[in-house]
Amino acid sequence: MTAERIAIVGVGQTVHKSKRTDVNTAELCAEAVEAALADAKLTMKDIDCVILGSFEPADGYSGPDKWIVPEIGAVGKAGFEMQNVGTTGGVVCATGFNMAASGLFQNVLCVAWQKMDEAAGAFGRGGGGANEYWTGQFPMSPITNFARRTYDYMTRSKCTEEHLAMVRVKQNQCALRNKHAQLKLPDLTVEKVMNDTLLAWPIRRLHMCPTTAGSAAIIICPEKRAKKVTNKPVWVEDWFTCHQGGALTMAEDPQASTLGYACRKIYKRCGITDPKKQINAWEVYEPASTAELRWIEEVGLAEDYKAWKLFEEGKVGIEKEIPFNPSGGVTATNPIGCTPVVRVVEASLQVRGDAEEHQVPGTINRALATAYGGQGENVVFLLKKTL
Amino acid sequence: MLKKEEPLDPVVAFRYPRVITYKHSLGYQSKFAHALKMGRIIATKCPIDGRCTVPPRIVCPMHHVRQTEWVDQGQRGKLITAFKINFPMFDSRTGELKFWQNPIVAIELEGGARMDGWCAETDTSKLKEGMLLEAVWRPPEERQGRADDILYWKPV
Amino acid sequence: MTQHDKKSVADIPEDPIVVEVLAHSNFLVTVGNTGNKFLTEIRDNKTIMGIKCPACKKVYVPPRSHCPTCFTRMTEWVKLSGKGTLETYTVVRYQEAYMPKEPPYAYGVIKLDGADTGIVHLLGGVDLDKIKVGVKMEPVFKEQREGSILDIEYFKPA
Repeated sequence: MTAERIAIVGVGQTVHKSKRTDVNTAELCAEAVEAALADAKLTMKDIDCVILGSFEPADGYSGPDKWIVPEIGAVGKAGFEMQNVGTTGGVVCATGFNMAASGLFQNVLCVAWQKMDEAAGAFGRGGGGANEYWTGQFPMSPITNFARRTYDYMTRSKCTEEHLAMVRVKQNQCALRNKHAQLKLPDLTVEKVMNDTLLAWPIRRLHMCPTTAGSAAIIICPEKRAKKVTNKPVWVEDWFTCHQGGALTMAEDPQASTLGYACRKIYKRCGITDPKKQINAWEVYEPASTAELRWIEEVGLAEDYKAWKLFEEGKVGIEKEIPFNPSGGVTATNPIGCTPVVRVVEASLQVRGDAEEHQVPGTINRALATAYGGQGENVVFLLKKTL
Repeated sequence: MLKKEEPLDPVVAFRYPRVITYKHSLGYQSKFAHALKMGRIIATKCPIDGRCTVPPRIVCPMHHVRQTEWVDQGQRGKLITAFKINFPMFDSRTGELKFWQNPIVAIELEGGARMDGWCAETDTSKLKEGMLLEAVWRPPEERQGRADDILYWKPV
Repeated sequence: MTQHDKKSVADIPEDPIVVEVLAHSNFLVTVGNTGNKFLTEIRDNKTIMGIKCPACKKVYVPPRSHCPTCFTRMTEWVKLSGKGTLETYTVVRYQEAYMPKEPPYAYGVIKLDGADTGIVHLLGGVDLDKIKVGVKMEPVFKEQREGSILDIEYFKPA
């Protein structure tokens, strides 16, 4: 028995904000689920499997699915909840894909959420490391991890703080065109970024993602059903998940990451020999905008430690040679557990040509979406337009 | 950056403070914690490639074999990276949100293992890669087998 | 091999150690617009409100934004008398952290008149050994209310 071919038939996300006092967590999810169902023109009656997830320690709930499932009308349906730090949304989507590909379910709903205006010191405990006893004693957080990565990148590549600021400005220009993005700064310049509050050198406050309250959902169907539900299915060509040591490994190798490894596996399996030509839109998870420099290299779009030149030459942007994070990326919106689902939603919109103002021009045959968590865990998805 | 919170209207949002005590068994790492109390840093060594890891691991993640050999890592190391945190973060000892004065450094120890530690030198511009640093320990009676038994690493 | 390698590790004990770590958390819970109306009515008017689903006509209390049965948005509020029938209860006799009251205390599920769901709340105004299922109950509100579910001090036999 082989796996079914599957497609995403509906996507939905809330308008991401830093605070949502008008809804509680379950109501926030209900908004995203309503949006996805409306997009797919389905109802909750059609859904037969629901996969949920959020980064629980950040919201402070233990097993919130018991609260959320009734509020999204999913009582009695198959499914389960899962979480895995930053890659939560990624594993939620990957599991949803597996459920649909198994042929056992016809309409799988995946929903992830995060309400970070409710968080309190969650990162103080075990910053994603494999070894809470040791790493929990150092005030580690994504900020310090990316400070380490970026410092190391700057040493090896000889790029300057100006290049880091260029990445941030590009992210903002994309976010300004995305109606769902949270952080939109009307007149952001390279100088403003370079003079912003220093958090941990070289990371400045503007480089880091914001805290967001948001939710996103996708609906997946196996081939036959997908073709009936929509005339614009987004086919899921492949996905790959992997992680490595965690915080301990960061001391050993500041650039430790699995993104390059995951991409190479996918490229080999799908016959991608020229990522620049064969993949037309990229939605890559980067908690700090400075990571984009290294991620561009890891996915195969630039030589090692040379990606900063692309920004100098103005080659990265929605209408440019390298459409990296046309939605503004994680730097504009980061509801942690939900962010990978937002990446998949944005990549799907690009493939369908429905991304409105931040649509990458031309035919998007393939789009890549990733999830990143902890200290270099990755889940990578490859979506395509036609079978 | 430590903002004072305005009083909350409970019909909009409310807080529920909790302090939960967890008891973590160190297991295999107990030997490592005992060594810290004795003023020593020890690591497990992979039988396949000889790589040492601090804190120790029962199984080598690359070669999937048990690591049963322990190797003393000495008292000195080379600086790999250093960073200073300019915003408040929680102290896991006390739960207090505070500003941290000392940079965190990644060091390669004499025995080959790499680990994180605090640095005595608070001016990061004076820290250069490859610098030799030496461990400065807490007095023996104050050591608890925690990471900060090594108070900080001092440039030699 | 350098000097440190030769230092023996045999004299380092291996007895298992258990470390205590205190996790401090101070989470914020947002009530949302639906919950806000519910709690405001309790605080200001000593009234318990339910919410009605337009599709399946069920009345839920405490209220929520979407019907769990058919996922329709609910906006129709229903004023309830506050009286109800005790469906089940239990008496808590053990102590643990973060309890609403000092044990022993009782709490139960009260099916409010006019609603299709039960509400969980503390029981009082009656001997713990004399609580009976099926008895009509009514809420006792605190004098000083701030807008939380505990503004209802307990439900007592009517």
